[in-house]
Amino acid sequence: METNTRIILICSGKGGVGKTTLTANLGIALARQGVCTAVLDADFGLRNLDLLLGLENRIVYTAQEVLEETCRLDQALVKHKQEPNLSLMPAGNPRMLDWLKPKDMQRIVDMLSEKFDYVLIDCPAGVEDGFRNAVAASKEAIVVTNPEVSAVRDADRVIGLLNTHGVKPVQLVLNRVRPKMIASQEMLSVDDVTDILALPLLGLVIEDEQVIVSTNRGEPLTLTGGNSPAARCYSNIARRLQGEEIPLIDPSKQGSGVRDKLKRLMQTKIF
Amino acid sequence: MGSINSGENITTIKLPLTRSSDWRISLPGKLNKVNSEGVLVDCQDWQLGCTELKQLRSYIEQAGLKLISIRSNIPETIVSAAALGHQSTLVLQKSVLVENSSPKSEEAKSNDSPKLLFHEGTLRSGEHLSAEGDVLLLGDVNPGATISAGGNVMIWGRLRGTAQAGKLGDKKAKIIALELRPVQLRIANAIARGPEEKPAQGLTEEALLESGKIIIQPARVNPFMFDRT
Ligand SMILES: Nc1ncnc2c1ncn2[C@@H]1O[C@H](COP(=O)(O)OP(=O)(O)OP(=O)(O)O)[C@@H](O)[C@H]1O
Ligand SMILES: [Mg+2]
Repeated sequence: METNTRIILICSGKGGVGKTTLTANLGIALARQGVCTAVLDADFGLRNLDLLLGLENRIVYTAQEVLEETCRLDQALVKHKQEPNLSLMPAGNPRMLDWLKPKDMQRIVDMLSEKFDYVLIDCPAGVEDGFRNAVAASKEAIVVTNPEVSAVRDADRVIGLLNTHGVKPVQLVLNRVRPKMIASQEMLSVDDVTDILALPLLGLVIEDEQVIVSTNRGEPLTLTGGNSPAARCYSNIARRLQGEEIPLIDPSKQGSGVRDKLKRLMQTKIF
Repeated sequence: MGSINSGENITTIKLPLTRSSDWRISLPGKLNKVNSEGVLVDCQDWQLGCTELKQLRSYIEQAGLKLISIRSNIPETIVSAAALGHQSTLVLQKSVLVENSSPKSEEAKSNDSPKLLFHEGTLRSGEHLSAEGDVLLLGDVNPGATISAGGNVMIWGRLRGTAQAGKLGDKKAKIIALELRPVQLRIANAIARGPEEKPAQGLTEEALLESGKIIIQPARVNPFMFDRT
């Protein structure tokens, strides 16, 4: 079934780079911007999107029951209390991995496409079955990476696979950017990363301890509309995703001294 | 770098040409006759996507065998094979369309004009491109990707992965790239690590063998013209 719904896979190859955090924050940010959004937890092995969204205790049914046809789609969807534009489709039991096929993923996503404008799929790490199932159901993708050699290498592999599966556009989010370390050349720079991956950069997310605090609370940073640096990054990514032109600023190229750069970073509304 | 050539334990199976019969029909019978553990499948002119290659792989696994490597003269098949994590080789066969020619005349034909494999697009981590003759790549070779050729390797882009020229022993083979920053270079039997320092911007360089060692030097004026002696 063809709808205009944007079905976006959020993937990385390497684990722990920030896929789930991005999915949760982007979901909330899009919902706040008035877009009807579903987030689908495709990480059946280590599901934790529900946790990050603070919805764990409200799950009754999961994607598993929907596929087995023991419940309806809207029975399984968990609507976010504060942001009713956002719904979560929870992952089922890890044993689902034994029988889940790309066409099952496709079925769930088809059902979601009828109801939502955006479907964000939180992909498991790796390039094995879990990834392949999720890719099969996706139209476009966001590749998340960190400014680290191994994360970039894995992202590159994933981009190659997305290309062979005809997923496009594929855009890049560079997470956990530390301007100070980039300035002192202890970390790959934004240019180093985009140079290798050759993808349009959808946004940068600054390293921010508030991300961890909010994760533990089950309240994504974007929920409060707060002003922490990472929260701004996430909502800018959501706006760019909808086609708004918000200039990207490379934090490591601002001003001259490190201090100058950091100061700017705190003040600037961009990036 | 997942190299294969362990030699003795691998059987090569050729799929029938597209227009002669469907490979799904003849493959099980062929697999039953295999008595090695691993198989190399030459897919010839079949354009196979990931789903079909998976099907092919499950036939092989059902027969209790292991798919070691894929060969084909269709780039798409090779790309799908790489996507599934298989070692794969693209074979550019000039004689595909000449069916009834004897093997001898085929050989003569391919000897007097060197084959060139042309590929457009960046090779990303985990992808391999391999050619029997020369290879010309329009794109980058990223870290973690490999390009290899029986003849010269020419990269209209940046080489940041691994490149091998003259893989069958041709000591005259060269590796040329608009930016030469490889992880590793191989020419014939020689191996060298890439240079540590960044090359000068905008300088096309070539790597070649000189008295048994790989050296890197600025390429000649027209780096993509080869004099074949
Ligand atoms: N911008 C950031 N600043 C600080 N910490 C971050 C940032 N982004 C993510 N993290 C932290 O990194 C850790 C991993 O994040 P997350 O779970 O989103 O990664 P993932 O890619 O989904 O991992 P997995 O591959 O295991 O699913 C979490 O503890 C998270 O709080
Ligand atoms: Mg995750």
